[in-house]
Amino acid sequence: MFLRLIAGRVLQAAVTLVLISLLLFLALEVLPGDVATRVLGREATAEALEALRRTLRLDRPAPERYFLWLSGVLQGDLGTSLVSGRPVADILGPRVANTLFLSAYAFLLYLPLALVPAVVQAIRRGGWLDQALSVATLVLLAIPDFLLATLLLIGFAMTWPLFPSMSIVEPGTDFARMLRLTTLPALTLAIVMAVYALRMLRDQLIEVLQSEHIRAGELRGLPPGRLVWRHALPNALAPALNVTALNLAYLVGGVVVVEKVFSFPGFGTLLLDALQLRDLPVIEATVLMAAAIYIGANLLADLCAIALTPKLRDAR
Amino acid sequence: MSLAEPAGRGRRPWSGALAIGATLLGMQVLLAVAGPFLAPYGATEMGAGPPLAGPSLAHPFGIDQLGRDVFSRVLHGGHVVLGLALSGTALGVAIGAVIGLLSGQAGGLADEIVQRGLEIFISVPFLVLALVAMVAVGPVASGHPLTVVGVVALIYAPRVARIARAAAREIALRDFVLVARLRGDGPLRRMWSEILPNARSVLLVEFALRASYAPILVGSLGFLGFGLRPPTPEWGLMIAENRALLLVSPWTVLGPGLALAVLVVGLNLFTDGLARRLGRHVDFGVG
Repeated sequence: MFLRLIAGRVLQAAVTLVLISLLLFLALEVLPGDVATRVLGREATAEALEALRRTLRLDRPAPERYFLWLSGVLQGDLGTSLVSGRPVADILGPRVANTLFLSAYAFLLYLPLALVPAVVQAIRRGGWLDQALSVATLVLLAIPDFLLATLLLIGFAMTWPLFPSMSIVEPGTDFARMLRLTTLPALTLAIVMAVYALRMLRDQLIEVLQSEHIRAGELRGLPPGRLVWRHALPNALAPALNVTALNLAYLVGGVVVVEKVFSFPGFGTLLLDALQLRDLPVIEATVLMAAAIYIGANLLADLCAIALTPKLRDAR
Repeated sequence: MSLAEPAGRGRRPWSGALAIGATLLGMQVLLAVAGPFLAPYGATEMGAGPPLAGPSLAHPFGIDQLGRDVFSRVLHGGHVVLGLALSGTALGVAIGAVIGLLSGQAGGLADEIVQRGLEIFISVPFLVLALVAMVAVGPVASGHPLTVVGVVALIYAPRVARIARAAAREIALRDFVLVARLRGDGPLRRMWSEILPNARSVLLVEFALRASYAPILVGSLGFLGFGLRPPTPEWGLMIAENRALLLVSPWTVLGPGLALAVLVVGLNLFTDGLARRLGRHVDFGVG
């Protein structure tokens, strides 16, 4: 039964992804108006427009084009860039690798940034430290990521030039250099994610701390720190997973902004460039990938939550 | 202090949030309305001072590359940011509420289909969806204020619909809705006179929560070059334009940034206070 639940979720995710591809195709290639003019602009010559129509196979009916594209994607053929003429997969590969590095780094920084203040706040709730951290959360919550990234840039790349202001990655950049290049962008992403998670985590921890078995532990004389780390935190894990999944959703969009600020050659800047140049095959591939990552992350969080919650695990 | 002591939760760290938030918001609305009249220079007026001059008493946020007074531009931008954010949110919440309430009330297969449909929109990371929508409308409409409003609504409507639907499912089971149904009221009428009044506090908090993030959404689009077009004094766009001046004249970036942050702090405090007053819990972020 548990397996059936999982299979259902996976199937549902796959269907959603296919529907997204349909929506994307409709929005970019079927919307009223001439696609070629939309891509090349009004000043384009008749020959250029004709050439693009041929490349995009615009003479064929839309359903045929969609199925050709979709079957290509399913076989790993993401098409060819309209701008550079290179296969989209070749362009996407290194960019995605860079962004994966950045995201993993951001995630590593995010965990302590969210957990430590939340635990401190839960133990000292109502105290001045809790209040101060709450105010700090409030202020950070109001600073958009593009501004936070810019502030970090002013602080740690210009006033104190500890890190480079442009995170340009050349081929053959070694690990240590890569870390230095991605510290500020990763820190920006980590702070934004931690701030979202912090308030929820604090409230959750406080709720768990008021439960029976924590009170019992307290009566047995266990120290507060141990109670929080060993007993309360695992109980707050399932909701924390939920907020982490939400944060992953943020991360996929957040890299677009942060990579732009630091000129980091990742997935986000690739999407922005493709959108600017109206390079349809690249746009389609990157957006589909972003959605796939998001859906995958949510699915994973769902499955973890099912596995962690006995009531759900044994249901049906 | 005992760990399990319940007193801690009662003493909220954000008490008085509603009053402070409302005050900040009131100031922002006042500035948005009066700003264009108070501003010493026009929004696009060049030659306000020597380009790249740092902050001074006459030019608190300095002068940008084109010789425009940044402080005046911030004042001129208030109603742009506030207007777009609020109207986009209002449109999104209205559309989302209608879809969600009808779907939740209907239940069954129709509800299931609508839910799957909404999931398609929610499953594309919101900023990516906003950017694609901006490109899909074509080069003429993209960057138009109405398009920005539409894109904000496109992001919010499916998320609001999900919340509204959950509320409607629960309300639709109550006796008075059943009575209305037996009386022969159609689904639209039931939604309007039975379900909507009972979902009001949910939708109110939802509106406040979405409105809190809307200025950032509008600003992000502007910052990335997919929002309003220059020379509109939209704050996100201004931050992007003046980023190159960061070293020479940081206040040209910090000024609009400060205005944006104060607006969002006000909205967040207001939302949090409102939610607590209505006995609801909010998690910030787009989700």
